[in-house]
Amino acid sequence: MNRTRALLRKIGWAIFTILFVIVLNFFLFRVLPGDPARAGIRDPRLKKEAIEMLRVRFGLDKPVINCFESLNPIQLGSCTVNPLDTQFFIYVRNLFQGELGISYHTNRPVADILAERLWNTVLLIGAGQILSIIIGVVFGVFAAWKARTAIDFAAVMSSLLVWSLPTFWLAIILLFWGSNNGLPLAGKATPGSSSLPLLQQWADIGRHMLLPTLTYTIVYMGEYTLIMRSSLMDVLSEDYILTAKAKGLSTFQILKDHALKNAMLPLVTVIAINLGFTVAGAIQIETVFSWPGLGLAIFEAVGRRDFPVLQGAFLLIAVAVIFANLIADLTYNFLDPRVKTE
Amino acid sequence: MNKDHFLEVRGLKKYFDADRPSLFSREARYVHAVDGVDFTLRHSEVIALVGESGCGKSTLALLLMGLEEPTEGVISFDGRDITHLNDRERKAVRRKIQMVFQDPYESLNPTQTIEEIINEPLVVHGIGNNKNERDERVIKAMEDSGLKPAEVYLKRFPHELSGGQRQRVVIAAALVLEPEILLADEPVSMLDVSIRAEIINLLAELRITRQIAVIFITHDLGSVGFFADRVAVMYLGRIVEIGTMLEVLEKPQHPYTKALLSVIPVPNPRLRHERIILQGETPNPIDVPTGCRFHPRCPVAMATCKASDPPFVSFGKTHQAACLLLVK
Amino acid sequence: METTAQAPEIQNQWVSRLQGFWRTFSRNRIGLVGLAMLIVIILMAIFAPVIAPYDSSSSASVKIDDVYNPPSSTHWFGTDDAGQDVFSNFIFGSRVSLTVGFFAAFISIIIGGLLGLVAGFFGGRMENFLMRFTDIMLVIPDLPLMVVIVALTKPSLLNIIFVIGLLGWTTTARVVRSQTLAVKSRKFVLRARAVGAGRGHIISRHILPLVMPILVVQAVLVVSLAILNESALSFLGLGDPTALSWGQMLNYAFGRGAMSIGAWWALLFPGFGIVWVVLGLTLLGQGLEQVLNPRLETHHLMAGRPVVRGEAREDAEKPTGKNPLLEVRNLSINYVNEGKPPARAVENISFTLKEGELIGLVGESGCGKTTLMLSLLRLLPSAGQIVNGRVFFNGKDLTALSEEEINAVRWKDISIVFQGAMNALNPVRTVGDQIQEAIIKHLPGFPHDQRLQERVVELLDLVGIAADHKDHYPHQYSGGMRQRAMIAMALACNPQVIIADEPTTALDVMIQAQILELLDSLRKKLGLAIIFVTHDLGVVAEMCDRVLVMYGGVTAEYADVDAIYNEPRHPYTQELIKAFPDLTKPKKKLSSIPGYPPRLDALPAGCRFAPRCPLAFDRCHTEQPPLHELSNSQSAAHIASCHLLEASK
Repeated sequence: MNRTRALLRKIGWAIFTILFVIVLNFFLFRVLPGDPARAGIRDPRLKKEAIEMLRVRFGLDKPVINCFESLNPIQLGSCTVNPLDTQFFIYVRNLFQGELGISYHTNRPVADILAERLWNTVLLIGAGQILSIIIGVVFGVFAAWKARTAIDFAAVMSSLLVWSLPTFWLAIILLFWGSNNGLPLAGKATPGSSSLPLLQQWADIGRHMLLPTLTYTIVYMGEYTLIMRSSLMDVLSEDYILTAKAKGLSTFQILKDHALKNAMLPLVTVIAINLGFTVAGAIQIETVFSWPGLGLAIFEAVGRRDFPVLQGAFLLIAVAVIFANLIADLTYNFLDPRVKTE
Repeated sequence: MNKDHFLEVRGLKKYFDADRPSLFSREARYVHAVDGVDFTLRHSEVIALVGESGCGKSTLALLLMGLEEPTEGVISFDGRDITHLNDRERKAVRRKIQMVFQDPYESLNPTQTIEEIINEPLVVHGIGNNKNERDERVIKAMEDSGLKPAEVYLKRFPHELSGGQRQRVVIAAALVLEPEILLADEPVSMLDVSIRAEIINLLAELRITRQIAVIFITHDLGSVGFFADRVAVMYLGRIVEIGTMLEVLEKPQHPYTKALLSVIPVPNPRLRHERIILQGETPNPIDVPTGCRFHPRCPVAMATCKASDPPFVSFGKTHQAACLLLVK
Repeated sequence: METTAQAPEIQNQWVSRLQGFWRTFSRNRIGLVGLAMLIVIILMAIFAPVIAPYDSSSSASVKIDDVYNPPSSTHWFGTDDAGQDVFSNFIFGSRVSLTVGFFAAFISIIIGGLLGLVAGFFGGRMENFLMRFTDIMLVIPDLPLMVVIVALTKPSLLNIIFVIGLLGWTTTARVVRSQTLAVKSRKFVLRARAVGAGRGHIISRHILPLVMPILVVQAVLVVSLAILNESALSFLGLGDPTALSWGQMLNYAFGRGAMSIGAWWALLFPGFGIVWVVLGLTLLGQGLEQVLNPRLETHHLMAGRPVVRGEAREDAEKPTGKNPLLEVRNLSINYVNEGKPPARAVENISFTLKEGELIGLVGESGCGKTTLMLSLLRLLPSAGQIVNGRVFFNGKDLTALSEEEINAVRWKDISIVFQGAMNALNPVRTVGDQIQEAIIKHLPGFPHDQRLQERVVELLDLVGIAADHKDHYPHQYSGGMRQRAMIAMALACNPQVIIADEPTTALDVMIQAQILELLDSLRKKLGLAIIFVTHDLGVVAEMCDRVLVMYGGVTAEYADVDAIYNEPRHPYTQELIKAFPDLTKPKKKLSSIPGYPPRLDALPAGCRFAPRCPLAFDRCHTEQPPLHELSNSQSAAHIASCHLLEASK
């Protein structure tokens, strides 16, 4: 029964976090210096009237929030604005209708731009996460099993090394290497490949994905190796492993049946916590390889001062991470009988 | 209030909140850790509180130390009510009542030297005008606790000492305040057999040399035989039998005491005897059985035991037990 | 007055503690390498104007020919898109990266440390609020947020430091909080409260000293993360254009055609700088972690050491004619210590076990009894090694078997009931599952169907556990039930011998009595032979047929239970029995044995009990006593090792 309550509480907190992000996101773009209208539409050749028109078009003429301006104690109570006619309310209302505003740069709805990009990022992160987890687990298991041998030392040292690599720099190095080996350098697909049969299209995407995914995998596998190693070391020194050994089970059986699941449980938590950090990797990788994902959208939006896109992309990434985090958290509860049968 | 009663406990209760049985349940549930305990302690008396885990003896110790707030009841010390005190008053009382914990490995800070550990209470209470005065007290406490010569141990860290030596450090850190009551919560259960006797002997000596009253909390009736004046047997948050040591050990009245006594191993194979082994385990203190709380495990329970809570029946001036079989 | 008198004292203690820390740290190679790498780069940053061949701002004289020149003798690392010397920029870049890294990390550590400490120590609503806030900040992806904030503000160095610092504290807060919580729940904090210490005292004297090591390691990690974040921000074009950090250099090179021209030098070297610093910090952190929070880097699956035999005697090759079920002869075990002489944990132990017999193995902690038991099934930890002797089971020498052969003996013929059953059962598998695993492993012919389930229920029933508990997990069992489940598991393959290693330690007296009764009844019902390992003399007297008393790894006395208690011959046995409280004789003062058992790495030269023995004489301190046979009866051998018994032989 307590489990249901814990479950509801977790979902509730995820929703609260999303609301927090929405509010944060809105105010970051209003409170921080640099009027978005001035920053985004800063062409000095524009006439004052034209700027005013653009402001109206992007909804920047409305008050930010009801009484936001009258927080000044002298003017307190002098609020006359209709609360439904503020930028904040319109922003929230639009959000619930799936609208994220209009790009300053392309004049297209931000939601449309991001929708195309989202799945590319999910594809990249998904593939990279799965590969780095698999490799990390395998390396970690070997390192722990063969603790204090050369294998262990090599695994730990190489993990520390790859952990220390700046993601974008590794991406650049691999790009350099790839350019000398005939791999595609940018984008998700060769131009014009959409006319090819589906299978060849996929192969083309796969070739484009190779280097970004490789970068991603290398950068994150070190951390998973180290966590898996330390987690498995803990498990393997538990008494129940000695029991399993006394039962006459072989080393392989002990690792498979008694150690792996127990050691993987902490890893699930780490993966959940890590999701927020792995997005950082995606931004850098997408920038270097021009992979058309959310990260590249952020990079481009920063360069073009396209704040609606930046705002939308940040919100989307944050919500996606919160969601993935919730799923990982719930998975953990499902996997660990100590929580499950509480 | 009886002047002879140095420490007096009346109707002491401590309930902890327990999780609700279901999400939508409105019924609040409590862990009845200590559920109505009365006893008194005289000057330089040794009383043993005996019971299995879950009987509430450790919670009782924390209540007496003021480390937990009682839900109900009164604790008075030297004629003064000390049940609820503010920080300053509590600190003053703590000088008089000190505690020795079960696990000497855990109850010493690994980053402090032995000197710092034993000196710490003096610093906390601002005792001693200068370093020399404090040093003297530290060394006296150490030597009284059997850490001789003290200089050997001063600069060492806890991990460099054996279990018995650490327990002596804990005792020295309590003695340095010159307390009047020492609460010892299972002080020997983590120690080797050959070391246990030394610590028990040490505690016994202290009450003679320093006139300290000792509350000795243990699950092992066997270890109280030599130095306790009185024994109180606890079950599920209550005292079920209390009397002088000889009364309880030689003429136990409550069926629970009898069972506990019968399972104490006797170190002689020629004296192997029939044991009264109670089935099952101590019930969960959330759902305390009705009537006599011991009835579900009692080998001699009657139908009425389920219904009525037994009162204390006296046997002589000092011996009491709570069992319906004893009611005439 | 109080504080001034204490101040120099405390200062001295800190100095001596730092010296102690350095002594251990200076033996840690990984940490030293990391520290050296870091010192090199810090020196480079400090003396940048001296080392750099060109002034970083002298781009006035740049000609078009200078752009993207490959490495040469005048430009070791080549030139960049502005024709500047990459080597000089590289050296000056270290200043920016280190400044941002250290200052931002300083902000993060202060915020995270304080929040974690406050949340962990004070608990309650405050904790709830702070930790929820931390959780929220932890979930929000930090680099995108940094990008957003820097993009909206001016990308100056100061802004970048603050943004990285103000967003980088979450993991520190979590780590510090959990450590604070862990320290706070330890008994010595409760003891400090009982002494009367206030909050300030407890935080400064008890919590902080134990949180600091974790915080130091965390700080190193945070610095490296801050440097990585700074480089990423700069690379994304959000760096301070006036401060040429390594990330900024890469941004310029990547954005201005280094890739297409093939100017690898402009892309490679600045990255090396980042890797060098971050790797140095990581290695330093790893080294500090090993020194400050040491862990035992051993586990149960590490390869064991091969059995070696010192002086193999002719007669020791075969079991004796009487053919008992289990015969241990002259068994010696060492623990190998790198760089030190091996510790002689068990020396020259012999005993026999007949069918249905219950032998008690008594000794204090550290006397080698558990080592001895584990060695019977060759389950010693990797440092343990059988250096002499044999273990015959049904005439078969277990010390000579291969790993597969011994696996077939384990549990099938000899099973173990471990001490403290909580950790002896796997917490994520059901009890029934763990019992049937043994059956499947050792009885391959056993049908894998309903019959197997019935057998598990039958075994549980045998130890008094109801069938509906079969599919429960160990944490749903009470301590006594777990011990019963462990016994049921030990019985799964109908073994002939059960080794019970302190099966009742840490259980309540009544539960202890239940378990003892269970073992005794099972022995009678199933004809089991049991080796009962314990430190409790009372338990031994209640149950055992024969007793082996161990002291410091050697046999003190080996005899029938009655002889041990009523005619003990070895002074240790005599003293131990006197020290045991006897309720049949209340009021009797307990006699204690002065001193402490010997440590395995510091064994006395002669008799191992001599330093504590009330009867010891000169010879005892120099010469190890041999085992003396005190009874000629074959069935009831009485053996003791004491020089005083030489005459009675």
